Amino acid sequence: MSAVATELLVHYSLRRRTLVPGIHAYSRRAPPLYLNCTRRPLSAGPSLSSFELKAPKALTLRASASTDTAAVVESDVVFSETFSLKRPVKVEGKITIRLVNGKDEENWQLIVGCSLPGKWVLHWGVKYIGDVGRCSEWDQPPPEMRPPGSIAIKDYAIESPLEKSSTLEGESFYEVKIDFNTNNSITAINFVLKDEDSGSWYQHRGRDFKVPLTEYRHDDGNVVGAKKGFGIWPGAFGQLSNMLLKSEGAENKMDFTSCESKAPPQQNSRLEGFYEEHPIVRETLVDNSVTVSVTQCPETAKNLLYIETDLPGDVIVHWGVCKDKGRKWELPEQPYPSETKVFKNKALRTLLQRKEGGTCSSGSFTLDVGLTAFVFALKLNENTWLNNMGKDFYIPLSSSRVLNKEHSQSHSANKTKESSTAYTDGIINEIRNLVSDIASEKSRKTKIKEAQESILQEIEKLAAEAYSIFRSAIPTFTEEEVSEAEVLKPSVKIASGTGSGFEVVCQGFNWESHKSGRWYMELHQKAAELSSLGFTVVWLPPPTESVSPEGYMPKDLYNLNSRYGSIDELKSLVKRFHEVGIMVLGDAVLNHRCAHYKNQNGIWNIFGGRLNWDDRAVVADDPHFQGRGNKSSGDNFHAAPNIDHSQEFVRKDLKEWLCWLRQEIGYDGWRLDFVRGFWGGYVKDYIDASEPYFAVGEYWDSLNYTYGEMDHNQDAHRQRIVDWINATNGCAGAFDVTTKGILHSALERYEYWRLSDEKGKPPGVVGWWPSRAVTFIENHDTGSTQGHWRFPGGKEMQGYAYILTHPGTPTVFYDHIFSDYQSELSKLISVRTRNKIHCRSIVKVMKAERDVYAAIIDEKVAMKIGPGYYEPQTGPQKWSLATEGKDYKVWEAS
Amino acid sequence: MEVSVIGSSQVNNLGRVDLRYREVGLCSFSKNLNFAKISSPKYSGLFVGQSSISWSSKYLFPLIVKASATAQTEAAVTSEKASGTRRSEVDNNLMLYVGLPLDAVSSTNTINHARAIAAGLKALKLLGVDGVELPIWWGIAEKEARGQYNWAGYLSVAEMVQKMGLKLHVSLCFHACKESRVPLPEWVSQIGESQPDIYFTDRSGQRYKDCLSLSVDDLPIFDGKTPIQVYKEFCENFKTSFSSFMGSTITGISIGLGPDGELRYPSYHKPAKSQGAGEFQCYDKNMLSHLKQHAEASGNPLWGLSGPHDAPSSKELATSSGFLKEHGGSWESQYGDFFLSWYAGQLISHGDRLLSLASSTFSDVPIAVSGKVPLMHSWYQTRSHPAELMAGIYNTVNRDGYEGIIEVFSRNSCKAILPGIDLADEDQPKETRSSPESLLEQIIFSCRKYGIEISGQNARISGSPSGFQQIKKSLTGENAVDLFTYQRMGASFFSPEHFPSFTAFVRDLRQPQLHSDDLAVEKVDSAESLPEKNVQMQAA
Repeated sequence: MSAVATELLVHYSLRRRTLVPGIHAYSRRAPPLYLNCTRRPLSAGPSLSSFELKAPKALTLRASASTDTAAVVESDVVFSETFSLKRPVKVEGKITIRLVNGKDEENWQLIVGCSLPGKWVLHWGVKYIGDVGRCSEWDQPPPEMRPPGSIAIKDYAIESPLEKSSTLEGESFYEVKIDFNTNNSITAINFVLKDEDSGSWYQHRGRDFKVPLTEYRHDDGNVVGAKKGFGIWPGAFGQLSNMLLKSEGAENKMDFTSCESKAPPQQNSRLEGFYEEHPIVRETLVDNSVTVSVTQCPETAKNLLYIETDLPGDVIVHWGVCKDKGRKWELPEQPYPSETKVFKNKALRTLLQRKEGGTCSSGSFTLDVGLTAFVFALKLNENTWLNNMGKDFYIPLSSSRVLNKEHSQSHSANKTKESSTAYTDGIINEIRNLVSDIASEKSRKTKIKEAQESILQEIEKLAAEAYSIFRSAIPTFTEEEVSEAEVLKPSVKIASGTGSGFEVVCQGFNWESHKSGRWYMELHQKAAELSSLGFTVVWLPPPTESVSPEGYMPKDLYNLNSRYGSIDELKSLVKRFHEVGIMVLGDAVLNHRCAHYKNQNGIWNIFGGRLNWDDRAVVADDPHFQGRGNKSSGDNFHAAPNIDHSQEFVRKDLKEWLCWLRQEIGYDGWRLDFVRGFWGGYVKDYIDASEPYFAVGEYWDSLNYTYGEMDHNQDAHRQRIVDWINATNGCAGAFDVTTKGILHSALERYEYWRLSDEKGKPPGVVGWWPSRAVTFIENHDTGSTQGHWRFPGGKEMQGYAYILTHPGTPTVFYDHIFSDYQSELSKLISVRTRNKIHCRSIVKVMKAERDVYAAIIDEKVAMKIGPGYYEPQTGPQKWSLATEGKDYKVWEAS
Repeated sequence: MEVSVIGSSQVNNLGRVDLRYREVGLCSFSKNLNFAKISSPKYSGLFVGQSSISWSSKYLFPLIVKASATAQTEAAVTSEKASGTRRSEVDNNLMLYVGLPLDAVSSTNTINHARAIAAGLKALKLLGVDGVELPIWWGIAEKEARGQYNWAGYLSVAEMVQKMGLKLHVSLCFHACKESRVPLPEWVSQIGESQPDIYFTDRSGQRYKDCLSLSVDDLPIFDGKTPIQVYKEFCENFKTSFSSFMGSTITGISIGLGPDGELRYPSYHKPAKSQGAGEFQCYDKNMLSHLKQHAEASGNPLWGLSGPHDAPSSKELATSSGFLKEHGGSWESQYGDFFLSWYAGQLISHGDRLLSLASSTFSDVPIAVSGKVPLMHSWYQTRSHPAELMAGIYNTVNRDGYEGIIEVFSRNSCKAILPGIDLADEDQPKETRSSPESLLEQIIFSCRKYGIEISGQNARISGSPSGFQQIKKSLTGENAVDLFTYQRMGASFFSPEHFPSFTAFVRDLRQPQLHSDDLAVEKVDSAESLPEKNVQMQAA
């Protein structure tokens, strides 16, 4: 099939795409030659150099040189504005489709590629034998067909990302490979290509691409790869368009696929490989601008309007004038500028003159006094028009100096209203007519289904439009709460609560790290190793001057010379981590701060250093420190004055400090110490101000026990953590203390059944709000040399086998990384990375019994911990052992 | 509503028009995809069809399901037979409104999601909805300084509504809204920083900062002006600024009476799972001093030293405390009556002040004034009604607390808005002894007695058809309301999970003759349409 055209189904509408114009109200007598400094709202095209022509002096020159009537001697600039334009440019490329034989007759591979750069996604599905009656419905392919990174879209399609690869010529190329077996009764693979950046869909003749895998007559015209073996279907396209017209009236679903094929599908025909290319055209938008200035000539009492643009090619100004307050286009008095044509007696079309040697086109227009406005649009060719955010450019000409700014504001307010589509107005009018018809012949209560139907469709369409816009504006955390309940689309969107969603955190210190006095230097040596182990985030110890050597009793927040090293060593360490691709979290102690001085009662509550707060910064309800602030919004930490975050000045100072750390040190995010001590809403405030890449809070309180026995149901405990996350508006994650506690009991006492909650989900925070759960089994407090709540000895790897295969963002403790566990940990992390397990992955608990817990994650990874027996069932997936250790095993689907 | 009853002989004409618009529709619908990729090419073919089919087939639209299985030619024939329509059981005078998003106008006075709202308004108009409700926030319209009003954003919305031919009900909100992050005006909260007693306060000293305490109504806290005067000026200015819409597009306003606009104390902030019923909010300085005076005047000075010492906190089980115990609680004592009468009386006077302010301000324009009565339905089935008591409604097993409130509405010729007519008893948690239905019945009874008109609202967006059933029940029974406002437009409102049920609900209200039962009955005598009927049944 050579005559195949791939069409761009969806493209950006020009009408909506131009961006906010910069508004400049010039002073009455603008100084010449400085006018070229017009601040432009966007970095638009490259042609800033030519802008000096806007200066009145230059204008004068120009006007006198040309044959224009306006002999301007002195002129006032009354209006000048640069509008940004988005010009669609077509880029051509190709889509390639290749079907090749795999290792034997039955195993085949379909490779779809695209030569244009972009984030391409193959949106595809299959048809099974016997799907004939269901017309164009798709089915999901069996799991083994799905390439890595695929996402299920509801129950009918798969989206697989195209990976970047390079051709022999060194050009980048994007492709995805689908392996399949001819035995699994699939008759065809259907797909379209999606450009994730623009949201455009690329189809084949307005339909899906279709690769038939068996011979059967489904003559749709969108079949590809049909050169050999299947014969040619005659006249497919013409037929199709006829049908399209006929059925358009009542049906809007184009389901003329195999419905008509009477013959049952014939199996056993041999598949043959093929290779095809289809042209693809994508529209991208290029920034250009147009500058309009109006000068007034006191002598001739005329306005001189000057348009200049850096658009390439022939630019036609399609224009008219407004004579009164209305927006009606009218023709001005003659004479018109040169190269001007009258268009249908409604508007004028003037070709802008190309500047010699320059990239600019320009034109001047002399306008009589008394006109209120100059209205125009730019025409590049028959199909390409550019206007101002969906409206005509409207240049006010009033001699009574209208404030440009004010005007344009009302202008933009109107704009939004009318941008919605014209066709619905039409429909509404149509309905109004119908309604009046009813009124006139009310006796005949006849109904017309089609009319109603079309209204319903209209309504649905409008609702869909409204939905898409409203939905896109929902804050991330609500969106997720919804989506987590339904289909999970792992967003690669970065959010401070989740990072990329694929993070693996390393706690880069322990309780002893301060002892050497050169921890930053020591860690510097290990950066590359941590990166190669697969860590994406490292959590560094608290950097400030501190009363205790470990850093958790900060004093002067701006003094970053600590027992871990100097500020310069810290900077160089952060830089090093960035070099190896690891993000760095700073340990921010915001709950309390040690004072520098005593108050008159001898109580330490007066601060020094750059943040020299007094006792108003200390909460009032801790008698030890006699604070004069408000009551604490959380629990108190009794060893130091607790900071009163309800004070505006405290928050302002802390925000500044966090921003300074981001800037000065290069921290990417925060580990927030003891967040139980103050309200999560303040945390949100700090996160919003410092915009971290990732943030996690330590909300550590005790689990629920009854008679010394830990309760199976720890919902109250995790609810407190979730409440805190909620209070931060989901902008920070929290350490999943619940999961750690439950793992303790489960592993220590062989109560693996605890690892499934009443709903069969993980019992920790990770079961309720996985994307915000930062899982860990040990840290500097619980383990290390403090050992406040040590993980059951010898069972650490079971704990890691759990958290590193499960959703949530896993954290590995430094002591474990640099121990005998390293190679085992490394294997687990690479299983996680390889299978793209992320913080929102789906867990299916397979077994939760006395001595064994097993789960399957994202249908890609199976795991078990505990001495009991479990082997994943070979169903649609085939499992192969990925790694194992004492009392744990992990399998991957192959 | 008439819009959707379509009948004429213009079959061909419309068909043609439809086709033409649909082509236009292709590009315009496709634009949406740039914003959010809601559709996917499940069906090969045009996008236009896709969205409607993928929704309708899931959500059983009688009409569409039917049509797609029909041969087109017989459409006109079969529909002629449907001329004998069944009488609507719903009073067709019922006005149906939909609330606009709480944040329709942003704090910078621009319209949020203007395109979405425009599309939404069109959809509602086509659907036969009568109007929309627009919340106007004090914290936005009078944001900068006292007396500096900026209505620009709201005026643009009103214009959009007017152009669409819809009616507008404006809610003047003198409270803040956490949900959509609308604060009180900054100049108000600044005063609150230095004088925290302008806010409601509970026993533990927690301040409720989302609206002013009713105890400052007549205190000159704003440079010599009282809140009532400030509210009044706000209303006056609103009236002047929107004068061109008054009576034509704007058909009614409601005046904010307290938290969430409701006439109550902020005893209970959010409907949490907790077993508490809230807390008394009489602990700001002015409330306490008033209580003291009142106690001294009534000869029991000791009663005026504080609120009830044995009232439960919001975390405790409502009926566990000495004050609100079902049997033998202090609420039934003389002291209890003293305190509760005073507490509720304060609220009623506050309601009276605001409603008379509003009705006098708007007496010269042809619009209706309403106020919102709270529906504190938790614990309704106990003797002591803790939730209502703490919200300031002295309604117990021994006493009707709504008479007094409704009497104030009646005195000021205001309409009552009742939120929560979608709530069914059976959906309420058992342990809170809640009964929204009986409470509604009680309030409506009072309203009928005083002859005031009622507008209904739903408490939450309805996820299930059963919620709509409950609304319909409330709208159709003997307690029928005159206006129903569905809350509220936004993403979930237009989501494919919700919007189809809403559409079905409206169509059901408006055109009962199109109910699928009727269609099936009509089709029995038509041999040609037998296949259709089968489709119907499968769909059902």
